[in-house]
Amino acid sequence: MRLLVLLWSLGPLLWQLRTSLLRPEALVAPLLEGSPWTLANYQLVLSGDPPFWRYLSNSALVGLVTTGLTLLLAVPCAYGLQKQRGPLRWGVGLGLVAAAMFPTVLLFLALLEIARSFGLANDLLALSLPYTALSLPLAVLLLRAAFADLPVELEDAARLEGLDLGQRLRHVLLPLLGPALASTGILVFLASWNEYAIALTWISRNDLLTLPIAIARIGGSSVFTIPYGAFAAATVLGSLPLLLLVLLAQRAIVSGLTRGAVKG
Amino acid sequence: MAVRSRLPSLRWRRCALMLLSAVLLSAVLLALLPSTGLVGAQPSAAQPIPIRVLMPAPLADAVAGPVARFNARGSGVAVEVVRGPLDTETISDLAISSLLLGEAPFDLLLVDVSWLAKYVAAGWLVPLERWFGPEVLAGMEPGARLGNGLGDHLWRMPLTGDTGLLYWRTDLMERPPRDTEELVALSRDLQRRGKVRWGYLWQGRQYEGLSCVMVEVLQAFGARWWNGATARTELDSPEAVAAAGWLAGLLRDGVSPKAVANYAENDALQSFAAGEAAFLRNWPYAWREIEKSDGPVKGKVGVTPMVGAPGEQGGGTLGTWGLSLIEGSPHPEEAVEVIRWLTGPVVQRQLAIEQGYAPTWSRLYDDADLQRRAPLLAVQRQALQHPQLRPLTPAYAQLSDLLARQVNGMLTAQEGPDQAMAAAQGQSLQVLRSVAGTTGPKGTASEG
Amino acid sequence: MKQRATTLLLMLPALLLLAAVFLYPLLRYGWLSFHASSVLTGLVPVPNGGANWLRLLSDARFWTDAGQTLRFAVCSVALELAGGLALALLLHQPLQGRGALRALTLLPWALPTTVMALGWRWILNDPHGPLNAAIRSLGGSSYAFLSTPATTWFFVVLADVWKTLPFVALLLLAGLQTIPVDLEEALRLEGASRVQILRRLTLPLLVPYIALALLFRLAQALGVFDLILVLSGGGPAGSTESLALYAYLNAMRFLDFGYAATVMLATFLLLLALLGGGWLLLRRGGIERTPDRAT
Repeated sequence: MRLLVLLWSLGPLLWQLRTSLLRPEALVAPLLEGSPWTLANYQLVLSGDPPFWRYLSNSALVGLVTTGLTLLLAVPCAYGLQKQRGPLRWGVGLGLVAAAMFPTVLLFLALLEIARSFGLANDLLALSLPYTALSLPLAVLLLRAAFADLPVELEDAARLEGLDLGQRLRHVLLPLLGPALASTGILVFLASWNEYAIALTWISRNDLLTLPIAIARIGGSSVFTIPYGAFAAATVLGSLPLLLLVLLAQRAIVSGLTRGAVKG
Repeated sequence: MAVRSRLPSLRWRRCALMLLSAVLLSAVLLALLPSTGLVGAQPSAAQPIPIRVLMPAPLADAVAGPVARFNARGSGVAVEVVRGPLDTETISDLAISSLLLGEAPFDLLLVDVSWLAKYVAAGWLVPLERWFGPEVLAGMEPGARLGNGLGDHLWRMPLTGDTGLLYWRTDLMERPPRDTEELVALSRDLQRRGKVRWGYLWQGRQYEGLSCVMVEVLQAFGARWWNGATARTELDSPEAVAAAGWLAGLLRDGVSPKAVANYAENDALQSFAAGEAAFLRNWPYAWREIEKSDGPVKGKVGVTPMVGAPGEQGGGTLGTWGLSLIEGSPHPEEAVEVIRWLTGPVVQRQLAIEQGYAPTWSRLYDDADLQRRAPLLAVQRQALQHPQLRPLTPAYAQLSDLLARQVNGMLTAQEGPDQAMAAAQGQSLQVLRSVAGTTGPKGTASEG
Repeated sequence: MKQRATTLLLMLPALLLLAAVFLYPLLRYGWLSFHASSVLTGLVPVPNGGANWLRLLSDARFWTDAGQTLRFAVCSVALELAGGLALALLLHQPLQGRGALRALTLLPWALPTTVMALGWRWILNDPHGPLNAAIRSLGGSSYAFLSTPATTWFFVVLADVWKTLPFVALLLLAGLQTIPVDLEEALRLEGASRVQILRRLTLPLLVPYIALALLFRLAQALGVFDLILVLSGGGPAGSTESLALYAYLNAMRFLDFGYAATVMLATFLLLLALLGGGWLLLRRGGIERTPDRAT
């Protein structure tokens, strides 16, 4: 059973790994013919112009800035929302759910116009603005649920001790939100790492491309036959950071969702 | 929930700390950005004027040498070639989003013949006749002169004179087929004798390449897609239906694999280069690719102009690339000098030798040395005598999209050729009507 | 009241950004949809009354795509829920190496969609892909998977399920962990079988989580874009084209922004109607704990 599940999840990825280690001629040869392994595809990808690590660092930069910015905006918003009562709380909550479910791709045309009028195109930091907005609804909902989980007495006690709002947030509430912050942050990071439609229309300069666009573009980089080997190598390289992240953070993701998701 | 889990364990505090440091790190990166060269430095007066050109990667690589030499001349201009993706639709997406995003991201753009009308109508290009004069194209092959002017203006200078070509296996037959019937007969014979698995490979995927194939097949059967005089499509003529029926027959009779319906240029080339077929429809560069590789058909491939049905004149689709000046370029004079030089005979000669791209200048075709070093030259010139233009209208992208959709539907056996072509014609007229109905004040509806 | 003002102020930056990115586009599309803005107007919006909306109503392609998008969404979400539940139940059991297993099964969800879409294209390649190689080694002959509407559609759904099933499983796993172990234990002592426990205890308690996964995934699947753009390009013969892809083509390939905005807005309205209807149905069905009301 476990094997079956692993085969389903990893089979296609392992095939990419195999493809990435073969020469182009071996790809069209019969399946089980003994074929020499090679690292040529990796060399090709890493020595490209710009080199592959550039895309990785672009994506990492956008991802980190987005994550930071999202948390920075989402924490106060979630706290404020949790303190609200009445129709405002209900309305904003519903609006957030609606926004969280909105298909991103439908926004690209208007966002492209915004990028043009404000000169935000081809700027990785500016790209993290729409990314932050796209991640905010879910982040606020998750964090609000986490705030709701905290015992009210805790904050009251802190208030009695004379701590103001900022101090209460920083010294009392946020430390308790560690797991929720971590899992929210990881979800946000993954979403921005993988986003396609907006990056496709906001970034046109080669050296600023994010990973998904860059990899999709290897399909037509310099050779005329489809460079499946190079493409697979890029996939493997691009997956390693994610593999690490998921391996390290799996527990955080699950437990964060346990606390948050549904109570939103 | 247990109280214990509400208390922050040390691990979680560390997690939050890590996140915080990640944010800090990104802030530091942010501060470093300007110095790491992500943001371009302002050129000072002493520096050469940068001229940015967007090209598909293979063409960008092909002109890298000449560009380096041009920059080394110290003419005060530094050409900067931006490598775009190869696939015509993908690089068109990139060019369009770049143009939509801001003022003149490039000074020059390498424009495919099929984009020209759309880009002109969008107001993105600058007419070139001011610099080049009306007679500049006179020294070019007749086919290469097509698709550069629109209205009364010259919008681009052609860099390549490519047309669709028919590839054939010299090890399997004495001479190439003369018409479509011979092509099918030869294919079947070779397939029956087990020499090849497939007869004829082409591009049948639902994309613009299928429209290029259709242009050729329509011509081969005496039909045409676009009537420039009436600005209407003629896709439901009996000849056009016969043409579509021939394509469908190729799949039905097993001359072409069913997979052709999902083939783009590179898929078809990959299979042909592996020795799986007798014929291939592709662009001139494919020949160099085959010869550069160590594949089983290396040295066994010839090319010929596209064949017609018996009694009809065949013709390849004109797939030329040319340089256009982008509206809003801060340095038009310098950019035009770059156009003049890049489309000149020196660069075209090198493109022909290294990549197999067809030149546009007639005198290059007469050059004995070049003929020796670029063996396809004679065939390419022959093909340029009867090239086929795709509809020269700003609505081409829509027309091509719906034709490819219908023909692909026919290939995947959803409907017959007469239905497919009737539907394509009906939808084309609908598109042309709705497009015409939206003509506004700046309406530049000059067609062909 | 000072505290109320402070909390409002805290919410303001996030809400402003959200308005700019979500609300502004909707208003802008609403405005654009009553204008012609295409190559023929030099990309300058010119009022054209309701011409775009009339065109949409008689645009067979829009409605075909709407049907295809809906079919895609329903099928893939149904499969994801079924598979996700099974996977969540498996991952909930105390197994050796559970952490690693969870992480590895999560991996497909973490990878960029477009990247694996290209990977699938290679796997399904005719004749060189592994799937066809396997078929041939079993004595069959190659099959052009991506040249037939039915199989193309099947693999588009499969690719989507492969990628998002782990996410659904994760949500449901989170739900499973909230179910008290002693309840399950009590039922077991009463002699209930595993199927009975599942039906009487687990599933009812999972309902809010299932509803959440259903709503989120349905909304995302109805906006499917990059997977289809890369894997099938909408083909063969437009049989896998989604509404989002059609809107993209209108904007970026045909440069018809007026109509593209109309298509996007119409897609959004259809989505809203569908989800709103679904939500009402869920409430009608007596499920009180719908996710957005639960706190």
